[in-house]
Amino acid sequence: MSINKDTIVAIFLLLFCGIMINSSFDIEDPGYQGMKASFWPTIVLCLLSVMSLVMLIKSMVSTTDNNLNSENANSQNIFLKFKNASICFLMFILFLAFLDYLGMLIGGVLFVFGLLTLLGGFEIKKIINHSIISIITIGIMWSIFTFGLKVILPEGEILKIW
Amino acid sequence: MIDVILQAFASIVLDPVTLGLMFVGTLAGILAGAIPGFTIAMGVILTLPFTFGMTAVQGLATMLGVFVGGFSGGLMSCMLTGIPGTPSSVATTFDGFPLVRSGRPGLALGLGLWSSFFGGMISAVILVALAPQLAFLGLEFGPWDYFSLIIFALTITVSLSGGNITKGLIAGLLGLFAATVGEDEINGVARFTFGFDDFKQGFAFLPVLIGLFAFSQLLTDVEDDKRAKSPLMSQSGTVVKVEHRQAILIILKRWVNLFRSSFIGIFTGILPAAGGSISNILAYDQAKKASANRSNFGKGAYDGIIAPEAANNATAGGALIMMMALGIPGDIVTAVMLGALMIHNIIPGPTFIQDEPLLAYGVFIAFFVAHFFMVGLQAFSLRIFLLVTKIPMYVLASVILAYCAIGVFALHNIVFDIWVMFFFGVIGYFMKKLGFPLAPMILGVVLGKLAELNLARATGISDDILLFISRPWSLFFLLMAVISVIFPFYQEAKKETLFAKLYVPISMIVLSLPLFLMGNPVRMIVAVILVLTGAYFLYKRTSSLKTT
Repeated sequence: MSINKDTIVAIFLLLFCGIMINSSFDIEDPGYQGMKASFWPTIVLCLLSVMSLVMLIKSMVSTTDNNLNSENANSQNIFLKFKNASICFLMFILFLAFLDYLGMLIGGVLFVFGLLTLLGGFEIKKIINHSIISIITIGIMWSIFTFGLKVILPEGEILKIW
Repeated sequence: MIDVILQAFASIVLDPVTLGLMFVGTLAGILAGAIPGFTIAMGVILTLPFTFGMTAVQGLATMLGVFVGGFSGGLMSCMLTGIPGTPSSVATTFDGFPLVRSGRPGLALGLGLWSSFFGGMISAVILVALAPQLAFLGLEFGPWDYFSLIIFALTITVSLSGGNITKGLIAGLLGLFAATVGEDEINGVARFTFGFDDFKQGFAFLPVLIGLFAFSQLLTDVEDDKRAKSPLMSQSGTVVKVEHRQAILIILKRWVNLFRSSFIGIFTGILPAAGGSISNILAYDQAKKASANRSNFGKGAYDGIIAPEAANNATAGGALIMMMALGIPGDIVTAVMLGALMIHNIIPGPTFIQDEPLLAYGVFIAFFVAHFFMVGLQAFSLRIFLLVTKIPMYVLASVILAYCAIGVFALHNIVFDIWVMFFFGVIGYFMKKLGFPLAPMILGVVLGKLAELNLARATGISDDILLFISRPWSLFFLLMAVISVIFPFYQEAKKETLFAKLYVPISMIVLSLPLFLMGNPVRMIVAVILVLTGAYFLYKRTSSLKTT
């Protein structure tokens, strides 16, 4: 018997199913005839629980999967492996958090510039390129959606004041 | 009928705006298909936000341009650099690249291009002929049958999406669950909202799709620091003159291969989840088996280029048949198109062609027209492709991530949708890392509400659950679902085992049961053929077991 990534995922899924099944009891029953609102999600969650249990058992029985111990030995590589993805996550969260203040135009330019520079490097030539790319691409996209497709994109506090 | 066809023709061919959009769409599709790391599905998904402001015909025509262009775009990179642009052009590399290296790049590109064109044309004819007939068949379906059809679509997606079947089923169920969040359509009751008002609307289809598919793919593309900073392709290739005339003559001389490969593509497209990535390999394999000069394969054989390219473009027509006739997406691309139709308040189903004939025939005509654009644009797009390949992936990924956010916001003009995209992007990324296929989850999200609605209708009409197995069509789809769940085990089983020998004949005999129950003479004949063929295989295989 071994514990590996699949074991942890299966346990997480079982916990998720437990919370959601518990939450399904709170779904209101308006008393109409026919299928209750909680019926279908409960079926899906029960099936999901069964499949998660199957995954848990399979992962514990399996001897071929990567063992967690060997993964721990390479834990310093995990940071490097997910570095760029983490940068994208972080930048996107920042972009969304400041969207109301910066708006789509300024926020978008800063997001693209920040991401390009963090992923591509900080050399002066690159920074100049990144700023040009971010201004031109976001400017074009913003113009297409605002003027071409008539979508009212978030303006932001800064542009509002202007 | 002719009036409708003429009107639909006019709405596509005589409308310069639609033609212009198809032009841009096809060009974008060719480029998306040509760039390794990008897929046709991603191209179509990223096109969707632009279609909000268009009419339904224009939107679908644009997406069809991307779809058709994408299949042929893959051949440029695989032939000129030996790297397949999309999974649907993997088999083209086997003979395309050697033919280019032997000094015939113009002929190799011509063969690929025109095989794609002819394959697409054959599938377009079949689409026009078959979709209305299949829709007619779909009118027989009740909610029980529809529910079972959706279950079958999900299980076959799981079994064909590769990898672990347990993980595939979990992904599909997670998709179904995601579709339940928010107010339910039957009673209007809030579910799993946890007190957040934004959750009441549920997760819109587009943010979930872009998050799961595009966002997670972009994160994967920039994962490797070195690869993210280098140009998309180290070998970029050169502009070549396509030998059109000679390529057409060679293909027409090999018409048997062309038709066989096209039909393989159409059939694969009709099956939910089995797309161009499977059809091109299948067609290549069949072409090799049927060829008198098998030893030439892998060294630049013409048949080795014709087969996969005809098959992958024909797959597009096959996938459209299911969407147009029954409202069931054959793959992620048709799932997106289904989503696009829903945005325009059009629900495809068996009555779609009757209810929306202009739109339906517009789709048929756009599918034809897109192939002409594909041929016309190939030389031009080749030059753009060579420029694009010099851009590093991190630049493309950063810009597209921002575009995803703007595009998703445009759907409902709410920031919550961007958060949903981000959330599902993170989920999709980690699911991919952990070996979960994403296609079942996407189909689960698309089909979840439809499944629930049909289940509610079925149980509303009658409390009798046995109707799911006593109605012939429902039984047929449920049996197909069971067979498709067992299919991966059959693939893994050794050929000499009893299970592997009995799987196909037993499946054939079992499937004949609902066909007998239908009572229709044609279906009875099909059922008899299935039983006899199954019994023959059963006899042959069990007798071979006895001898061993």
